[in-house]
Amino acid sequence: MKNKLEEILKSAINSINSSNSIDELEETRIKVLGRKGELTTILRTLGQLSPEEKTVIGKRSNEIKAEIESALENRKDKLSDAKIEQLLTEDWIDVTLDHADQSKKFKRGHLHPISAIQYEVEDIFTSMGFQILDGPEVEKDYYNFEALNIPPYHPARDMQDTFWTEDGNLLRTHTSAIQVRGMEKIKPPFRVIGPGRVFRYEATDASHENTFYQVEGMMVDRTISIADLIYFMKTLLKEIFRREVKVRLRPGYFPFVEPGFELDINCLICGGKGCPVCKQSGWVELCPCGLVHPAVLRYGNIDPDEWSGFAFGLGLNRLVMMRYGITDIRHFLSGDIRFLEQF
Amino acid sequence: MLLSLNIISELADIQGLSPDEIANRLVMSTAEIENIEYVNQHLNTVIAARIENVLPHPNADKLTLVDLDTGKDKVRVVCGAPNHKKGDIVPLASVGTKFTEEFTVKETKIRGEKSSGMLCSGKELGFSDDHSGLMILAPGTPLGIKLSELYKDWSDIRFEIENKTITHRPDLWGHVGFAREIAAIFSRKLKYIINFDIEKTFKHTDDLAVTIKDPKACFRYCGLVVKNIKIKESPDWLKAKVTAIGMRPISNIVDVTNYVMSELGEPMHAFDRKKLKGNEIIVRMATQGESFKTLDSQSHILTSDDIVIADKGGAIAMAGVMGGLDSEIDDSTTEIVLEAANFNPVLIRRTAGRFNLRTEAAVRFEKSLDPELCSAAIVRCYELIKQLIPEAEATTGIVDTYPAKPKKVEIKTTTDFIRKKIGDEITDNRIIEILTSLNFKITPSGKDLSIEVPSFRATGDVSIPDDIVEEVGRIFGYDNIKSKAPLVPCAPPDRNEKRLFERRIKSILVQDHHLTEVSNYSFVGEDLLNRIGINLDIQLRLRNPISREQDRLRRYLIPNILTNIEFNQKYFDSFRIFELGRVYIKDNRNSIELADENTRVAGASYAKEQEFPEFYIVKNIVTDLLNQLNIKNIKYAPAENDLPPYAHPARSMSISVDGNHAGIICEMHPRIMEKFGIKGGAALFDLDMDMLFISKKAGNEFTELQKYPDVPFEISVLAGKQQYVADISSIIEKISKEFIKSIDVISVYEGHPIPAGQKSVSFKIVFAAKDATLSPEQIDSLQKKVILAMDKSGFKLR
Repeated sequence: MKNKLEEILKSAINSINSSNSIDELEETRIKVLGRKGELTTILRTLGQLSPEEKTVIGKRSNEIKAEIESALENRKDKLSDAKIEQLLTEDWIDVTLDHADQSKKFKRGHLHPISAIQYEVEDIFTSMGFQILDGPEVEKDYYNFEALNIPPYHPARDMQDTFWTEDGNLLRTHTSAIQVRGMEKIKPPFRVIGPGRVFRYEATDASHENTFYQVEGMMVDRTISIADLIYFMKTLLKEIFRREVKVRLRPGYFPFVEPGFELDINCLICGGKGCPVCKQSGWVELCPCGLVHPAVLRYGNIDPDEWSGFAFGLGLNRLVMMRYGITDIRHFLSGDIRFLEQF
Repeated sequence: MLLSLNIISELADIQGLSPDEIANRLVMSTAEIENIEYVNQHLNTVIAARIENVLPHPNADKLTLVDLDTGKDKVRVVCGAPNHKKGDIVPLASVGTKFTEEFTVKETKIRGEKSSGMLCSGKELGFSDDHSGLMILAPGTPLGIKLSELYKDWSDIRFEIENKTITHRPDLWGHVGFAREIAAIFSRKLKYIINFDIEKTFKHTDDLAVTIKDPKACFRYCGLVVKNIKIKESPDWLKAKVTAIGMRPISNIVDVTNYVMSELGEPMHAFDRKKLKGNEIIVRMATQGESFKTLDSQSHILTSDDIVIADKGGAIAMAGVMGGLDSEIDDSTTEIVLEAANFNPVLIRRTAGRFNLRTEAAVRFEKSLDPELCSAAIVRCYELIKQLIPEAEATTGIVDTYPAKPKKVEIKTTTDFIRKKIGDEITDNRIIEILTSLNFKITPSGKDLSIEVPSFRATGDVSIPDDIVEEVGRIFGYDNIKSKAPLVPCAPPDRNEKRLFERRIKSILVQDHHLTEVSNYSFVGEDLLNRIGINLDIQLRLRNPISREQDRLRRYLIPNILTNIEFNQKYFDSFRIFELGRVYIKDNRNSIELADENTRVAGASYAKEQEFPEFYIVKNIVTDLLNQLNIKNIKYAPAENDLPPYAHPARSMSISVDGNHAGIICEMHPRIMEKFGIKGGAALFDLDMDMLFISKKAGNEFTELQKYPDVPFEISVLAGKQQYVADISSIIEKISKEFIKSIDVISVYEGHPIPAGQKSVSFKIVFAAKDATLSPEQIDSLQKKVILAMDKSGFKLR
C-alpha cells in the first residue's frame, strides 16, 4: 500500500510537471484527487487497516495529497504566467507611433496669440477692478477725433492715417475712441479697459500693418497722478512677462492727454543691445499714455475740477512680438496655420 | 527735422556735452530722435598733402601716378584727375577713409600700379558739386592737417528729429527752440542772437506799404526793402550749414532765408523788388479760380480759401506755402523785399493739402507759429545779408502790419496742483526753477503761481494748468517719478457678459473641438466676392482703400475663411479653423449712420481624404457648441433653397434660434471648391454670435435621478434613400410626450438585402414613466402605437 502511494505521488508529479495547459492539470487533479481519484480511493480504504498502519499510511496519504495540491497550484501559476507572458508578447504595439491610423493622430486647437494675450491683459486688469468696455470698429469722427480734442484740420490728424468709409465715417484709428463712449455710459469714479481691433491707412511691411490690436485703459478718480499711471503700467508688464521689465517714460504728444507720454520697454528681442526690431535703440515703443486732457473729460460730461484720470493705449501686437520674438507683424492676419499652431 | 549741433553750439553753451548725452536727455524730456548722424565724418581721415611728383601711368593714358608728401610719410596714389601739378596741396583720403557704407578707401592696385589712398574732388568731399578735378587747397596749408580741422563748418553732427513728436511745439521747428530746451535740461546758458539795434541803421528813403485784407487769415506781416544786393554763391560756412540741415545751397539770399528759417523756425521769403508792381504788398484771399504759378513752375487754380500775397498786378506768392515764379530772385536781382509773416494755421494746412505742397514753410505755419518771430527774423536775416554783402542797405524800416497783437497768456495754478498731478514730491523752488529756465515768467505768492507763458509757447501749446504740469514733469524727468498704487475702493468690476460669451465660444471650439483660431482682415475685394459669386455690390466701401483686394468692408466671414482653406491645404492634409469677428452691415450706404456691426463665428473643417462626409464633423462641432452654450430653442432644418453660393445644396442645414435664422452648416459647393482649387472635402459653419448671445438660455437645474426602470424597445423600418431620419424620429416622438424618454438612431444601412433606393433605419426607443413602473399593458400599447404610426406613415417594419 505504501508503495502504491509513492507511485501515485510520483506519477502525479510527473504528469503535473509535464502538463502544458490548465485543462491537462485539471485532468490530473480529477484522476488523482477527484471523487473517484486514485488517492481518494486509497484514503477510503484506510478503515480496513490496522490502527498502526492506519496512522502511518493516513499521515503519508495526507502529506502526499498536500504535495500534489501544492504541485498543482505551482504548475497552474506557472502556466498562467506563461499564458500572460505570451499574451504580452502578442500585445506589442509600436508606442513610438501616435495613432494606429496616423491620419487620425490628435491635433489640438490653437487660440490666436492676440486673443490669448488680450485675455491675459483683460484678466490682469479685471483683477485690479477694471471693467471691460467695447465700441464700434467703424466709428464716427466725433468719437475717434473730435471728442478726443482733435478738431478737424488739427495737425495731429496726420499722426494717424485714417481709412474713411464712403458714408463719411471712419475705421477707428485707436481704441481711444472707446473713452468718450465709456464716459457717456458710466459715471466716475471708474476703471475701464477697451480691447479691440484698430485700423491705419498704411502700406504693410514687416513692422506696419493696416489692422492691429490695442487695449485702451482709463481710470478716473478724485486724485489720479502720473505716479498712479506708472504703477499700473509696471504691474501689467510684470504680470505679462512674469518678470520685472525695464521701462522708460518720455514725453509724447497726443491731444487727448496732458501731459502725454510714450512708454518704452527695454527691447526683449535683443535685450536692449540694439536690433532691427527696436531700430537699434534698445527700446521699443509700447504704449502711448498720459493724464486725460480736461477737454476730453468735459466731452464725457465729467468736471475736470473734480475728477482727473489717466489713459493708455497698449499695442497688443507689439506685446506678442516681444514675448515670442516675432519680427514680422504680417503673420497675425496671414491665416497661416504654420504660424498659428505655434501658440 | 534735422538739427545741427554746429548751429546749436552757436545758440547755447554745449561745451563738454557729448552728442549721445544731449540726444538721450532730449528724448527723455523733449522729442524723439530717430537718428544721430555724423556729417562728413570722412574728413577726419582726409589730410592735406603736397604733390612731389606726377608721373604717367604705364598702362593707362588718363591716369597718373602721384607721389605725395603728407608731412610725415611719402605716399603714391593713382589718380584720374586732369588738373593737378607738382607743388599743389591736395586732399588725400588715407587708406581706411569711409565715405559711405559701401565705399571705404583701400590699398589697391589700379591697372597694375599700387595706390595707397585717394585724391579727392570737391564733390567727393561733400563740399560742392564740382567734380571737374581735384580740389586744390590754398598754398601754405600745413601738410598732414585733417580736413575736419581745416573745414570745421563741414564736420557736423546732426539729429534727425521725429516730426510727429513736435507737432504741438511750434517753437521746436527751429534750432533756437532746441537750444532753449538743452539749456534748460543741462542748466546751461542760452545765447541771444537777435540784434534789434541794427534797425537803427535802416534808412527810410524808400516806400513800402503792407495791407492785410483779412486779419483772420494773416496775423502779422513784416516787410523790409534791401538794396545793393549782389546775388552770388554763399560763403563756405553758410553752404556747410545749409547742407547740414538737409538743403541744397542755391545762392546767398536764398541760403540766408533758409538758414534763418531753420535757426529761428520762421519761414522767410525774398521777392525781387523790381519784379513787383507798385509799392504795396497786399495780403488777401485768392479769388475763386485765380491762377498762379509757383516757383517750381507749376500752375495752380486757387480757391477763395487760399491766402495770397499780391501786388497790384496780382498774386506774387501762395502765402505760407510757396513763392511765385514771376517775382523770384535771380542772378540779376539787386533789390529785394524780405518777408516774414504769420498766417492762419488751418488755412495754410488746407492750402498745402489742396495743392499737395507740404513745404518746409507750410509744415511750420500749420503749427501756429509765434507772431513775435516775424520782426526778429527780419532783423536776423538782414544782419546775415549785411555780413555776406557789406554794401547791402535797408532802405525802409520794418514795415510791420500787426492788426491784433495777441494778448499775453497767463495761467494761474498752484504748486500743490502740480505735485498732485505728478504724484511725487517736487519742491516749490524746483518747480519755479524749471519753469523759469523754460522762459516762463513766474509771480509766486506762497503756493499760488501766476505764470506768464512766453510768446513762442503761447499760440495754443501752453494754455492750461495741465500744460504747466507737463513742463515741470518732463524737465524733472518722468523717469524720476516713483510709482504708487492709488487708494481706491476694492470691489469686483461689472462683468462684460458679451466678452465672456465670446471667450466661452473660443474656448469650446479650441479646447473641445481642436479648432485653430484665425484672424482675417475686415476688408474684402470685388475679385474674391466674384469668385464666390456673392458680389451684390452691397458692401460699405472705403474712400481711400489701400488696394483693390481690400476696398470694402466684409459683410460675411466666410469669403476670407475660403482663402484660408485655399492657402493652408498646401501645407496640411487636414485642419479645422474658425474666426470670431465682426462684419459690417449697412444697407443705405449714403446715410451717415454707423454700419451695424454683427459679431459672427464662422469656421471650416477640411481634409484631403474623407472616411465620411466632412459635414458631420462640422455638425458635431456646432451642435455641441450650441448645447454647451445652453441655447434653448434651436432648430436644425435641412436647407435646400436660398443657400449662399458656397453651400452644397444637398449637404446643408440651417439653424434657427428662437425662430430666427441664426446660421448655417454646409459642405462647400463643388463648383466653389473647383474655383478655389480645394481638393478633398471641406465643410463650413457660420453663426450669428450676437443672436446666440441674446437668445433664450436653458436653465441648468438638477433633475432627480429616475427611480423607475427604463423599457427599451428596438425597431427597424424601411425608408426611402433620401428620407430624413429626423422626420421619422419626430413621428415616433409625437406618440407620447409622457412616456417616451429617448429615441436614438442605432444604425442606418443600405445594400443587400435592402431593396435598391431604400435604407433600413434602426431606432432604440426608451419608454419610462416618472412616477411608476410601466405596466405590461402600457408597454404593449406604446409598442403597438409605434408600429402603427410607422405603418401609417409608409415605413415598413423589418
